[in-house]
Amino acid sequence: MIEIRGLRKKFGAVEAVRDVSFGAGDGTVVGLLGPNGAGKTTTLRMLSGLMRPDVGTIRVDNVDVVVDPIGVQTHMGLLPDSRGLYPRLTPIEHIEYFGRLHGLGGPALTARTRALVTRLDLNEIADRRVSGFSQGERTKVALARALVHQPRNVILDEPTNGLDVMSTRAMRELIHGLRRDGCCVLFSSHIMQEVSALCDRIVVIAQGKVTADGTPDELRSLTGRDNLEDAFVTLSGLEENS
Amino acid sequence: MSTLRLVWIVLTKELRDGIRDRRSILSVLIVAALMPSLFGGMFTVMASRSKNAEEIKLPVAGVENAPAFVDWLKQQPGVEIVGAPADPEKAVRDRKEDVVLIIEKDFSRNMVRAVAAPVKLLSDSTRESARQKVNRARTLVTTYSSQLAALRLIARGLAPSVALPVRVEEVEVSSAQERLATQLNILTLLLVIAAVTGGMQIAIDTTAGERERGSLEPLLLNPVPRIALAAGKWLAASVFGCSAVVFSMLLTVNVLRRVPWQDMGIRFRVSDGDLMSLLGLVLPLALFLSAVVMFASTFARSFKEAQGYMGMLILLPLFPGVISMLYPLSNRPWLAPIPVFGQYALAADVLGGKPPVATIYVLAGVSALTCALVLVALTSRLLEREAIIFGR
Repeated sequence: MIEIRGLRKKFGAVEAVRDVSFGAGDGTVVGLLGPNGAGKTTTLRMLSGLMRPDVGTIRVDNVDVVVDPIGVQTHMGLLPDSRGLYPRLTPIEHIEYFGRLHGLGGPALTARTRALVTRLDLNEIADRRVSGFSQGERTKVALARALVHQPRNVILDEPTNGLDVMSTRAMRELIHGLRRDGCCVLFSSHIMQEVSALCDRIVVIAQGKVTADGTPDELRSLTGRDNLEDAFVTLSGLEENS
Repeated sequence: MSTLRLVWIVLTKELRDGIRDRRSILSVLIVAALMPSLFGGMFTVMASRSKNAEEIKLPVAGVENAPAFVDWLKQQPGVEIVGAPADPEKAVRDRKEDVVLIIEKDFSRNMVRAVAAPVKLLSDSTRESARQKVNRARTLVTTYSSQLAALRLIARGLAPSVALPVRVEEVEVSSAQERLATQLNILTLLLVIAAVTGGMQIAIDTTAGERERGSLEPLLLNPVPRIALAAGKWLAASVFGCSAVVFSMLLTVNVLRRVPWQDMGIRFRVSDGDLMSLLGLVLPLALFLSAVVMFASTFARSFKEAQGYMGMLILLPLFPGVISMLYPLSNRPWLAPIPVFGQYALAADVLGGKPPVATIYVLAGVSALTCALVLVALTSRLLEREAIIFGR
């Protein structure tokens, strides 16, 4: 469960996040939708505990991220914007490294690693060094290591970026699976179709502010547009510019 | 989970990753192997030059002008008189000869009249390699001259000491071992170079490299205190640094033992105990230098940027090393707590056969370790900074 209230963050003179508040409950999938540069990644970075908000509070499972970042990270799996891997390690070694850092070990870690490799269809490349991997393969490895500790809260920053059709489908399957398991899933995207296909709720963010928050149907009726894409354009304030 | 356990997890991962980086390991090994060979070769050349000066072939022109002088020269140990080339000056200028002695026509005539008899010594002072030979030749001539002077005085009923108002007696206070030690400071320098370069690749790769790849942010998302990450990475770099030191020492000592030191009048005697003392000095230094490199590279956004910093950073340990070769740092135990300087000073004492007391070693080691830990703590603070985590 994630609760974000009155978040603000400035970088020098640029106000990247001006007013962001929303919540995400367990067993739901929430999409953070917004155009490029809207403040999605900055919001997620503050949620991860690596960036301090100037103003506002973030609570995950009722733990304040600023007060106890490690306590929050223990139950959070985050696929960040940067998916850097270690070129000389194999996918299995990546997953196990992060698993150990979460305190896993022994047969439990081996079993968990195997399960993730199978679920993300990494079997064929599981023991190869990642240096020559494609974008999609790299994303899968990054995702697997983020989920190794079976987090209750899963946050994915543009998870389908650079993925082909089959991998995108697999990612959707995974997100559905996480919801079935009762996880709280929050993911960001700038692609309308993806959000509408997956989300129970959509939070639209534009120029650092939340401009709408509701189910896909609510957003459609709010804007008076039947097409969700049109609704998104209206809510993002993109119309005036074009 | 305990912080120590996390440090261990980070350390083993970085070591595994580092060992697979064959190219950097190879470059470290090549540097570690090249330097001792270079200096071994240098010392061997120096030794052979002093040997050359002991046994010289001296080309003499105008032998017929001073048969007695030439006979005397032939009797001197290690001197062989050979014929001079047709154009002695050209031969020296063309570096065909190191030195040529020319006995002038007037030699015998002047000798009889007790007027200074002329000889010429041709040499090229820009040639370092010829210097010892030239000195030997000059000494031979002056020795002959003073012996003759003494005989002339005796013939005139005077004591030779009349013409020698002042006599210089040179007293050498340093032991042969200490003189060797000034040469051997190079060993310490090589060990320190190994200590820096050995851990450098991995220290950069685990900090600047981690930022460049974009793997720092995912790593920091794990519930691990920053100090555990910094400590694990530091220890991994230190393991490489220490291994390089041991490797370099084994190699250097084996090379140096093959240098013909006896030709320079020096006995090479470095015991295993001395080597252990050196390791005891340099290994904590390797831990310190790895921490310095890691701290500096954390500021760098990329491997390349970090390597730029290293160009400057490597001067830090080299500077005192070069200083110590010009101005020996021996007998200065108060330098012990200053990392790098202390190690050079104490190493000079160890190699000079005057090993300091155990507490001084401990002081030097503890001081280097403390500085290292401070740097590790500072690095862990850097890993909290948003500009470092996200700045790519």
